[in-house]
Amino acid sequence: MNNIKSPLIFEIIGKCETSKARVGRMTLPHGPVDTPVFMPVGTQGTLKGMLPEQLKAMNLQIMLANTYHLGTRPGPKVLKKAGGLHKFMNWDGNLLTDSGGFQMVSLLKLAEITEEGVKFQSLNEHKNEVMLTPEHSIEIQNAIGADIIMQLDDVVSTTVPDKARIEESVHRTTRWLDRCLQAHQNPDIQSIFPIVQGTLFEDLRRISASEHIKRDVNGFAIGGLSGGESKDDFWKIVNLCTDLLPKNKPVYLMGVGFAVDLVICSALGVDMFDCVFPTRTARFGCALLMNGQINLRKKQYALDFNPIDSDCTCSTCKNYTRAYLHGIVTELPVACHLLTEHNLAFQLRLMKTIRENILNGTFKEFVKKFMEDLYPKKDYPSWITDSLIAVNITL
Amino acid sequence: MKFTVKHVMKQSARIGELSHIKADFGIKMETPLVLLHTQAGHIPHITHEVLKLISKEPQILQIPLVSIHNYYDAIQDYDGRISEFVGSKDTISYITLNDPSNLTRQGHHVKEMVPIFTKNGKVLYDSQKYMAMINNLKPDMYTLLSDGDTNIASSQKRITKSVENTAAFNKQCISYQKKSSNLQDSFVIAPVVGGYCLKSREKFIELILQNDSFVHGYLIDGLHNNGPEVEFIPFNEVELVVKKVIDNLPESKLRVISGCWSPVNIIKLVKCGIDVFDTSYCRILTERSAALTFSINENDLSEAYEINLRHNQYAEDFKPLLLGCQCITCNGYSRGYIHHLLTVQELLGSVLIMIHNVHHILRFFSKIRQSIRDECLVDLENNILDQYNEFQCQKIKNLENENK
Repeated sequence: MNNIKSPLIFEIIGKCETSKARVGRMTLPHGPVDTPVFMPVGTQGTLKGMLPEQLKAMNLQIMLANTYHLGTRPGPKVLKKAGGLHKFMNWDGNLLTDSGGFQMVSLLKLAEITEEGVKFQSLNEHKNEVMLTPEHSIEIQNAIGADIIMQLDDVVSTTVPDKARIEESVHRTTRWLDRCLQAHQNPDIQSIFPIVQGTLFEDLRRISASEHIKRDVNGFAIGGLSGGESKDDFWKIVNLCTDLLPKNKPVYLMGVGFAVDLVICSALGVDMFDCVFPTRTARFGCALLMNGQINLRKKQYALDFNPIDSDCTCSTCKNYTRAYLHGIVTELPVACHLLTEHNLAFQLRLMKTIRENILNGTFKEFVKKFMEDLYPKKDYPSWITDSLIAVNITL
Repeated sequence: MKFTVKHVMKQSARIGELSHIKADFGIKMETPLVLLHTQAGHIPHITHEVLKLISKEPQILQIPLVSIHNYYDAIQDYDGRISEFVGSKDTISYITLNDPSNLTRQGHHVKEMVPIFTKNGKVLYDSQKYMAMINNLKPDMYTLLSDGDTNIASSQKRITKSVENTAAFNKQCISYQKKSSNLQDSFVIAPVVGGYCLKSREKFIELILQNDSFVHGYLIDGLHNNGPEVEFIPFNEVELVVKKVIDNLPESKLRVISGCWSPVNIIKLVKCGIDVFDTSYCRILTERSAALTFSINENDLSEAYEINLRHNQYAEDFKPLLLGCQCITCNGYSRGYIHHLLTVQELLGSVLIMIHNVHHILRFFSKIRQSIRDECLVDLENNILDQYNEFQCQKIKNLENENK
């Protein structure tokens, strides 16, 4: 069936011999994406002051945008008229949009979930009640036109103990998946990813995954994590989900982007990640390093004429000292642009290093070295040692 | 660095050339030119990486001392030049005292010192402290310390003080300059003060001309206290003073004026013989979400002199800011997108407007130089003035319609 055009082709190029890590290449309507990939978040159709020209130069292949925000402003009508978000924001790389459900539940206190959809009070001046249904979410995502779009899911916080409610959310998420697939207008240029739910209950995760893999889709997401659960619980669910999901399709772990999480979850077999952290933290003067992060607002950098990271080749590290950045962070908007550039370059470099080590057969050694640098006293948290033992890497 | 007058037009607008620049000996820059106004070395909202997307020509960064005062200690320890410190080692640096885009607070005078108002409060500079800082910054160009705190409303007493202070600073700074090995190649600009009193201006120039051989250019200071209001200064208010000063200065020296002058007044000042301006006006425009869209060439399909991207009429307008403009904003982004970015308060909105505004002003100056060479500066002036007047009429009409 090679002659049928698919909006997502996934090839696995290399596998780690020890862990479940793998290197893949996704081919999407707006070009290739090398996995494991970190996708920065451009919530409102822009990435923290960065020009798409700069992102291209950094070799960014895919970014995220938020359906809830774009659906509110500028709204689907304007986006449709503009010819979709790619054109509107002048980004010819790939885009992924979420369903809008998560934002509604997290941002709006008044959201109420019914079988029909998520009911919430609109943010506009009329404060009228609005319903976001699976059909409506897909309609907006069709107007935005991202290359990968997400089903509307029934998100329950991992800290909710009520198992009956979580079980309901698992089944409802599958019913909503079918409604999303039914409503989808552009299956030849946009792929819908189902989202595996079930919070921290392994039996519910199994039910959710087994239902979703029966559907004809191009990839899967693991949802409902990174919401305040303990790391010891978190990694077990990720590990379980990558076991349950088919190996020939990409797996996307939503809302994860700290360096150490990216390394561990790549080892557990995840292919795609997103997180607001690297770009958000830049605004507060934080710069990312392989062994942690530094806050450039601190006085100790006032006379420090080193770059943020002498191993980094981003234009910020090539041209600016910590002392200079110290004097403008949180004062001038350009400081935010410069740190965003570095933090993005950091994330991209980390993912590239992960991919190269998997391909070279040195991933195990890389992980060990990475953790040693991060914890020079070898006082590893239990979740790190346990999760790595689960994929045959012993620190 | 060297300045040569190349071509003088009848009304005394002139073409000049800056050459032998230490930062890059090979380059030559033609005047009238516009300095890139910065804060701490950056055009507001524009990183140096983005600046390279706006212009590949050599540029001069105007760096207000007030915006880098917080680096005083760091600069003392730093070996390199200021342009390198701010992340742009290939550009030419020009240090001024105050930021022309911000209103400078008046008063707070202390004998033999000048107050500047940094983000951490008032700091006093005397000649020694100022020149020590300049010495560490190693700029390509800089202005001597001045007390330019005068405007059209200043009392004679204030003007006299300003003249006395600045004449003393001139002497002290130049004697420091002579001894400094770091500054031997720096291009020295001497501020000329005296408010709106022609006699005081004349007297001041007399006082400082004895140092003329150590000075490469003059800044006409003391006309205003910077900030957005400069845009609205009627030309006839400053005309006499500017002409008087220019008449009394040696013709071979560079003439600088700073502030957010409107494009029409820029042409009028060029006609008086001013050589150097700055882009602080672009910041004023960008902060009010406005893009300059008056037509400079026949290719520009201008709809208005200036447009404000906050207006709802642009929400579904997918045209570029200015049809025919070749800047990266106009090449890839629509008014509707910029309107969206402003509505949701995203940083990129100001970035895109600023890119266009700086590009537009650079293009405007290139047109000014061309017009001087072609002896048709008056045509350019009339063209811009017509567009400006039409824009004002339209504004009044819109207001009337709103009131109805």
